[in-house]
Amino acid sequence: MWRKLPQHTSALEQSLDYRHSPSLRGRFIVVGAFTISLIAVLAIKLVFDYSERLADISYDRLLRSALLQMDENVGQEQGEITIDIPWSAFATLAQASEDRVFYKVESSSQGFITGYYNLDSTPERPREYGTIQFFDRRYSGETLRFAWLERHLTEPDASGTVRIVLAHTRLSREDMAASVTQQAVELITLVALVSIVLIIIGSQLVLRPLHRIEQLLEERTPGDLTPLTLKTPRETYHLKVVINDFMKRLQTNLEELENYTGNAAHQLRTPIASLKALAENARDIGRPDEQRQALEKIIEQCEALSDTVSFLLNQATISHRMQSQVMGLIDLVQPIQESCRAQALTALRKGVMLSFETTLDEAIVVGDIIAIEQMMQNLIENAVRYSLLDDHEETKEVVIRITPLPNIFRVEVIDQGVGISEIDKQRVFERFYRGRYDIAGSGVGLSLVKDIAKYHKADILLSDTLPHGTTVTVDFPTFQFRGDHQ
Amino acid sequence: MRLIATVLLGCLSFLTHADPVWFGASNASRELYINSTLDMSSFKPLLERFVELNPSVRIAYVDVNTLELYYLTVSEAENPSASLILSSAMDLQLKLVNDGFTQRYVSEQTERLPAQAKWRDEVFAFSYEPVVMIANKNAFDAGEIPDGRQALLSYIRQNDEQVSGRMGTYDIRKSGVGYLLASQDARQADATWGRMLEAFGSHGIKTYCCSSDIIDDVAKGDLVVGYNLLGSYAAQRANNDPNLEMIIPKDYTLMLMRTAVLPQNAPNQQDAGLFLDFLLSDEGQALMTTEELLYPIRQGQSQAHFAMPLGPTRTIKTVDLDQQLLVGRDLVKQRRFIRSWELALELSSGD
Repeated sequence: MWRKLPQHTSALEQSLDYRHSPSLRGRFIVVGAFTISLIAVLAIKLVFDYSERLADISYDRLLRSALLQMDENVGQEQGEITIDIPWSAFATLAQASEDRVFYKVESSSQGFITGYYNLDSTPERPREYGTIQFFDRRYSGETLRFAWLERHLTEPDASGTVRIVLAHTRLSREDMAASVTQQAVELITLVALVSIVLIIIGSQLVLRPLHRIEQLLEERTPGDLTPLTLKTPRETYHLKVVINDFMKRLQTNLEELENYTGNAAHQLRTPIASLKALAENARDIGRPDEQRQALEKIIEQCEALSDTVSFLLNQATISHRMQSQVMGLIDLVQPIQESCRAQALTALRKGVMLSFETTLDEAIVVGDIIAIEQMMQNLIENAVRYSLLDDHEETKEVVIRITPLPNIFRVEVIDQGVGISEIDKQRVFERFYRGRYDIAGSGVGLSLVKDIAKYHKADILLSDTLPHGTTVTVDFPTFQFRGDHQ
Repeated sequence: MRLIATVLLGCLSFLTHADPVWFGASNASRELYINSTLDMSSFKPLLERFVELNPSVRIAYVDVNTLELYYLTVSEAENPSASLILSSAMDLQLKLVNDGFTQRYVSEQTERLPAQAKWRDEVFAFSYEPVVMIANKNAFDAGEIPDGRQALLSYIRQNDEQVSGRMGTYDIRKSGVGYLLASQDARQADATWGRMLEAFGSHGIKTYCCSSDIIDDVAKGDLVVGYNLLGSYAAQRANNDPNLEMIIPKDYTLMLMRTAVLPQNAPNQQDAGLFLDFLLSDEGQALMTTEELLYPIRQGQSQAHFAMPLGPTRTIKTVDLDQQLLVGRDLVKQRRFIRSWELALELSSGD
């Protein structure tokens, strides 16, 4: 019945199904690694932009400082605008150690004063006197960073403006940007790699409790359904509880099934033995009329056996339904009415009148129509059977009634038969218990009724009908909205 | 700048440079032209050793004055005659690099150079050159030889007649390295420089194109003292002439570097690189001292023979091989500096 899981996981892993199943861990790692890589790429892009700006800011300061030192040394000599470039200005520029330097000094009145004659000194942006402009422009085969300044002359007798452009190549800037970028890229790459490794290790750790549960279950002997006791983290606690709960249910079902099968076998053995005895008896009897009588008994016994088997099958069907079907909203009136209708004729033939009484048009409960019909069939059959045992010759009546009560619908099946003794009332719901062996029946009818009632969360009660007979009362809870919105 | 250079070239076109001196076998397969300001006597052993090591190369060595060399290189920018330019005028060499006339060269040897001995991997220093004075011992009483600029100034004041017309220095208008030395003097100690100029002017200093001419005149006794000379020449001569005394100025000593550049578009760049590597190699550097030629740039070399004549207490002012050198060559600054030099030395700019 219980087959152990395949022992060889390699065979499991080789199966197509296994290989085609998505891996939780793989997904976790892929998504994590992808996210980290994306962030890393964005960070690197930012660093690229930032490092160039940073290098420009730093080296523009040098350029500005050198330009201002030059500007301070613009003066007038014998009526001419001239400049005495300070050594310190170029010492400043020498901090950009490998960069070529170009400059040009002009005045509006004299034109070219000194520097590189063919250096383009037009400003990049609209001219604004006294404000330094920085821009990139090509000269002498390289892109240069320019600092541009034009201002009004302040010397006495001087009029017009002086313009100074100072430029150097971008080598140091690029070196600086590259070194900033390189360091940042190295750092970002390292952090990203470490993160991905941590994710891989972490995923292993996170999934380890699952593997442990899996391993524990795998190692169990067949049929071992005791709860798992290993300690698990909070996240897998629920899983463990569910597994344990599931195993408990499985255990219960299994026990019930074993019980049921045992009892059923036991119950079937007796009639079959008696059948055998009857048959032997019939074989051995010489007289045909006695033989015929014996054969009729055999047929009777066969019918009883057949009934028992049908009950068992019904029971199995209903049990299966109750375990697998999801209950829905149903109208209780309809299946009960249907059962009455179905059995009315059979009962009447036996001399029992069925009457159905209700004031309700519908009675909504949560349940399963087939199960309710089965329950009603059993109850009615039982009532009819017990009614017939009464020896009074009056017309027998079995009343089926549905009454609305607060929060419940009460279903009553009332007969006026011989009734059930107090001792039997306690036991009739036990499987295979028969109150009286003189009536046909398998002894499973009422136990099935009890199971169905329990399944519907309905209370079942046996009481005496006055002056004699039995009343079976089943109280179904009414369906009530319990939504939070109300 | 190129425009100005071209204009100046018109005046300099008479400078038909001297015929080259050849080294190496006449049937050598390759020819390497070197334009240099180094005196032949200081360089010959290096050239000879190089062609000995590389018999397939024949060197044409042309000795040119520093300033002429600069203009020649600029004028030949499109089609250079020489593949290697060696000069003591660091500022002009650096300007060639800055203005884009040279090309990069990287080799094992240049990588070994300290960072301050090269710029942009385009100009490489191969020897040091302390800037010194030289005196004729006969003109001084024992212990009277001045040991620095201040001492020289006071000597001039005390021996007016004796020094008049008997001092010599570079003509900064003709010599590139002369200009560099003067401008660095002015930069290092402006007040001292002013007094020196005044003293030189009032005592009729003679101006020369080249170190060797000054030393010649000092050796002959025509001059009592020469100011701002290149140390390697002075040391060579002082070592061989008991009348000469080399003076390392005590107040501060300028330190130049002789540098090499490879002009852009030059022919036979491969051998130019080969020769530069030889200059910078252990053997080349060692040869400079053993043959008493130059002070090698790599000071780790053993210098038993031709030690740098500097004690540890001297104030060395090394001229940095970087963009600052461009300032001295600014057109306006240069014009103003030469003008004030001429005025101080009472030289008319007209002749």
